[in-house]
Amino acid sequence: MTPVRQLALKLSALAIAAGMSATALAQEIRIGLTGTFTGPNASVGIPYRNTAEIYPPTLGGVPARWIVLDDGGDPTAGIKNARRFVDEDKVDAIVGSTSTPVATAMFDIASESRTLQIAMAPVAIPAGKAAWLFNIPQPVPLMVSAIVEDMKRRGIKTAAYIGYADGWGDLNWNGFSKLAADAGIKVVATERFNRTDTSVTGQALKVFSASPGAVFVGASGTPAVLPHVSIKDLGFKGPIYHTHGAVAGAFIQSGGKAVEGALMPTGPMVVTADLPESNPIRKVSTDFITRYQAKWGPGAVTPFAGYAWDAYLLLDAAVASAAKTGAKPGTPQFRAALRDAMIAGNEVVGTNAVYKHTDADRYGVDERGRVLVEVKGGAFRLYKP
Amino acid sequence: MGVPAHRIPALVVGAVIVLSPWIMPVWVVTLLGYIGLNAIVCLGLVLLTGMVGITSFGQAAFVGLGAYVSALCVLGFGVSPWLTLPAALAASGLAGALIGWLTIRLSGHYLVLGTMAWGLGLFYLFGNLQGLGGFNGIAGVPRLEAAGLSLVEPAPFMLLVWAVLAVLLAGTTILINSRAGRAIRALRDPVMVESFGVQSATLKLKVFVVAALFAGLAGWLHAHYLGHVSPSPFGINASVDYLFMAVIGGTGSPAGAVLGPAVVESLRTLLRDAVPALKGVGGNFEAIVFGALVILLLQRASGGLAPYLSRWLPQRPPARAPAMAQPLPRRSLPATGSALLEVRGLGKRFGGLVALQGVSFDIRAGEIVALIGPNGAGKSTLFNLVTGVLPPSEGEVLLQGTRIETRPPRAIAALGVARTFQHVRLRPTMTCLENVAIGAWLRGRSGVLAGALALSRREDAQSLFEAQRQLDRVGLGAQADAPAGSLALGSQRVLEIARALAADPSLLMLDEPAAGLRLQEKQALAALLRELKSQGVTVLVVEHDMDFVMNLVDRVVVLQFGTKIAEGTPDEVRRDPRVIEAYLGGLDD
Amino acid sequence: MNAVAYWSKSRAAHSGSTSPDRGRLNATIATLLVQDGLTSGLIYALLAVSIVLVFLVTRVLWVPAGDMVAFAALTMSLLRQGIAPNTVWLLAGLGLLAVIVQAWRCHRSGEWRSLRGVLLLALLPPLLGYVITRSGLAGAEAPVLVHALITLLLVAPMAPLLYLTAFRPLTEASVLVKLIAAVATHYMLVGFGLLFFGAEGLRTPPFISGRLDVGITTLSWHLLLSLAVSIVMIAALWVFFERTLWGKALRATALNRFGARLVGIRTERAGLLAFGIAGLIGALSGLMIGPIATIYYDSGFLIGLKAFIGVVCAAMASFPVAVLGALAVGVFEAFASFFASALKEAIVFVLLVPILLWRSLTDHSLHGEDD
Repeated sequence: MTPVRQLALKLSALAIAAGMSATALAQEIRIGLTGTFTGPNASVGIPYRNTAEIYPPTLGGVPARWIVLDDGGDPTAGIKNARRFVDEDKVDAIVGSTSTPVATAMFDIASESRTLQIAMAPVAIPAGKAAWLFNIPQPVPLMVSAIVEDMKRRGIKTAAYIGYADGWGDLNWNGFSKLAADAGIKVVATERFNRTDTSVTGQALKVFSASPGAVFVGASGTPAVLPHVSIKDLGFKGPIYHTHGAVAGAFIQSGGKAVEGALMPTGPMVVTADLPESNPIRKVSTDFITRYQAKWGPGAVTPFAGYAWDAYLLLDAAVASAAKTGAKPGTPQFRAALRDAMIAGNEVVGTNAVYKHTDADRYGVDERGRVLVEVKGGAFRLYKP
Repeated sequence: MGVPAHRIPALVVGAVIVLSPWIMPVWVVTLLGYIGLNAIVCLGLVLLTGMVGITSFGQAAFVGLGAYVSALCVLGFGVSPWLTLPAALAASGLAGALIGWLTIRLSGHYLVLGTMAWGLGLFYLFGNLQGLGGFNGIAGVPRLEAAGLSLVEPAPFMLLVWAVLAVLLAGTTILINSRAGRAIRALRDPVMVESFGVQSATLKLKVFVVAALFAGLAGWLHAHYLGHVSPSPFGINASVDYLFMAVIGGTGSPAGAVLGPAVVESLRTLLRDAVPALKGVGGNFEAIVFGALVILLLQRASGGLAPYLSRWLPQRPPARAPAMAQPLPRRSLPATGSALLEVRGLGKRFGGLVALQGVSFDIRAGEIVALIGPNGAGKSTLFNLVTGVLPPSEGEVLLQGTRIETRPPRAIAALGVARTFQHVRLRPTMTCLENVAIGAWLRGRSGVLAGALALSRREDAQSLFEAQRQLDRVGLGAQADAPAGSLALGSQRVLEIARALAADPSLLMLDEPAAGLRLQEKQALAALLRELKSQGVTVLVVEHDMDFVMNLVDRVVVLQFGTKIAEGTPDEVRRDPRVIEAYLGGLDD
Repeated sequence: MNAVAYWSKSRAAHSGSTSPDRGRLNATIATLLVQDGLTSGLIYALLAVSIVLVFLVTRVLWVPAGDMVAFAALTMSLLRQGIAPNTVWLLAGLGLLAVIVQAWRCHRSGEWRSLRGVLLLALLPPLLGYVITRSGLAGAEAPVLVHALITLLLVAPMAPLLYLTAFRPLTEASVLVKLIAAVATHYMLVGFGLLFFGAEGLRTPPFISGRLDVGITTLSWHLLLSLAVSIVMIAALWVFFERTLWGKALRATALNRFGARLVGIRTERAGLLAFGIAGLIGALSGLMIGPIATIYYDSGFLIGLKAFIGVVCAAMASFPVAVLGALAVGVFEAFASFFASALKEAIVFVLLVPILLWRSLTDHSLHGEDD
């Protein structure tokens, strides 16, 4: 088919769709979801898509349609997707992206089009421009505070950091250095490494020779094993902490016995079975895990899938609230009502946290949204000191 | 009807693009915006890789430099986004000059690896330097605004990008067809252009800087449209992307710079969004499809896709000489009989091998002198020593009293020596007229900037007029529009002579000009050389063909095994026993 | 006394003071860093040898060298976990491409006999690999050697298949065209890697763990194993080039391609052989790197690039200098990661520029090369 004919076909299809959607506008909520489903970070993004496939067909009682697109981890593609959501699909809200730089790149489009955006990766929401922006995953400083608290509890005075030479490493380092300073813990060594490094001996030696009381590894997944094992091999006896990005099956599988005792913060969903019955998160979590495993088979469910479900829960509550104002989906009034419902300060119990977004707090997560877990017996268990 | 046929496709495309915000869906307009942005960078690559032959795997680093500098200026100094453009251009231009100076000193594959090296180096620098936001980058870069309209919508941005691109395309096309452009197109043969006075290193550097400037401009646009700069769009993968786009489109012409990104971005959109079966996994196939496409094109159509397209479209007519133009200034020829070239005790050793030893002779103005000798006598070496291609081990060469043996070919050309080559060195894809016009390089002054801004029109016309004159003089006037590679070898040799004549030399040095010519062509050549002598041009001919030489020249110098064994008129030399022995071998004792 | 105990002892001697050794270089650390550098350096060195070999014989800059390493490491990792690796399908896919290209050539030239050899090369290894991995013989409990051999079987043929598909049609093209084709091939392989191996990084459990005490310091067993494998490989190559007919044929092709053809050497077969050796070396290096690093489907590029630095030191011509250069890169990298870990990559690649400059100016074979 020649390019001209292809274009004509596309044009007519779009015309028909536009015609159809004009009528559907009044009846249906549209949410645009963009995530990293292909490319090197796909393993983080794909659980979100898996969850999106088990979303119920309504939000707050109103029929809902999710438009799910892939951005491949490329900020430019994320922007293209966001533009398309806003300009063509006329969505009522944007969920995404699952990768920090992509989500950050989409902020301006959300703000300018006055469409609320729920980012599904830890981002730094710029103050003063946050009117339409929300975040689900626990902010990195909140997670790191669990680590610093435990260090304080153990009476540790000196610590070392060895993290990725990239955005994730930066985020964790920024959080850690500030919180450690506040807690009176001196950071005696800071090293960086790359995911793909064949060895971190140099960095491990530097860290070990500084004699820290504890080590914080700012990495994720399988590569986090390398510094952990290298430092332990040198004879380090203190506690080794990791980021919540290390809470992955691959970490335990690659590390084996060597990573027993590793400590890391994470959302409660990972250790649902260990939570006390009184914790409201336990019920929501168990329900979600059952649904997920019904569709995708048995096996541990990653926190990323939980975040996607939490997005659904949040929008569900917000739509129910917004529909009451009488605004119609697809209109700017509805989008404003939706946003107002989100910042009303109602608590929504999710799988990973109890969310309470307000105008001032766009992250909406507090200590109920994080626990400290350890690797014990080849699995992640709630840490009980 | 005043629009030339070959401009119509561009005008049609331009019209469609300008009207697209009203007639096309938003996703097409957005796509066009990105195509335009990539085309700006690829245009630089067309100049760099296509014209000059420098394969660069590092252009994305310059884009990143422009983007980061723009972002930092706006956020750090509160400058208006429009005013960050000079800063972005200054940064990428300076970096281009520095890095280019280093890079063009590399040759062949080392050069390509060098571009990879600094492409990677800059990427890691972006991610690690303090204050650049690390690998998460800098967000919240303000958008461009014009007349109160923020250029954040796809349509205004796209129009801005294509406006810029149109200007750059026009400038590049004008440059390519100017005299500086001809020199640039010939840079793949540095030995040849240097022998006509082109400073090839400086010119290469200028092209490198131009490509860097284009990239920096694209970076500025990128920063102020996306509102976000981070290292990842400027890494080695992005550089490879740009090069692949240029290769797919075709690096041979500016059209390729637009075609390549159009094809690649459209395919990309297709793979990612349009094919439902591939939704969600299509992105994984991108790399495979593009890699395969590039390899296929390299194997089958190394000129890219643009040549295929241009077959269907009206072609731009080749550069033509104007009917009338003010002649270029002529050199004043030295008085007949005065010493023009003096060779004194010239010698050359290659390690242990002695190629030349103690050769001395004179050439007086107005003479035709032949340099003959059996194979291995050192004729070519002597030729290269006199023209500055090789430095001598001993001895000196004087041109009208000035010592030239240590000067580079460029300087010797400026003193009035023009040469032809033993193995024909023409640009096969350029027309005969353009090839000859290269010879007139030193007779003009306008450079790259003047060329691009269309300020060198007068000199361009003059060089072409001169080139046509020389072509007529050597009898190739009718072939002016033919690509030089389509000529028979004999005619190519004559073309080289025309090129040398275009330099208005006082000494014309011909390296085996009769090789490959038929009898009639040799007679015509001899007639031409006699006529040149009558006009006061001095000629030195290195030749094998005794008959050709003996009836033509005034004096003969004979070399054997690197030394001069005889000198004199043709008759004297013909009867010289040493010469006979050299050519026919001695009698056994 | 092993390094760790020695280390603790020296620290004990300094304890109580604000130790001036805190984070500074000393003899023990230096020794450990050198060993560390040699461990990765040996892999770069083997790759450098394969790159020089391929370049000399075919004038192709073997950019995908690193991808062979990555694929082998991933394959081995999967086998050790008892999972049947998708490498079989990747290999079969490449084989199919090669068969198609060869069939096209035969169709154009009218001579079909050469298709037989290509069919064999393209289809036999994946078939064999499929049968073995699907049978019970290659489960997680099988010995390391079995898994290693399967990995070699599945990964080594990829290189000659790529030669048949991508590079043989470009025999007459310039070095730069071949380089762009090599980069495009690498691009494709990375795409294939993502498709067939997924985005997860994998490690292999160490073949031998622990260290050997040699008195003044300790050496890791893995380093010794790598050293042994490397020495055997290089010795085998030396014997091949000096003593066998085909080895001499390869050297002849490398010296003067046209001349080699004139004396009856089938230079295209020489190219195939060179790529075959490169594939073998790449697969072997992949086995060696699996236990010491997390390997992703795209890890190959950086590994290959570091090997290239060694190759450039050797002006693409000398095997011993390439080996030394690559080892130096490994050691340099280890020390750089001690002193400035964040800038390590930047330093290593910026260092390439002066080396390139030096080599470009002194490599006389380049002068006179016209595009």
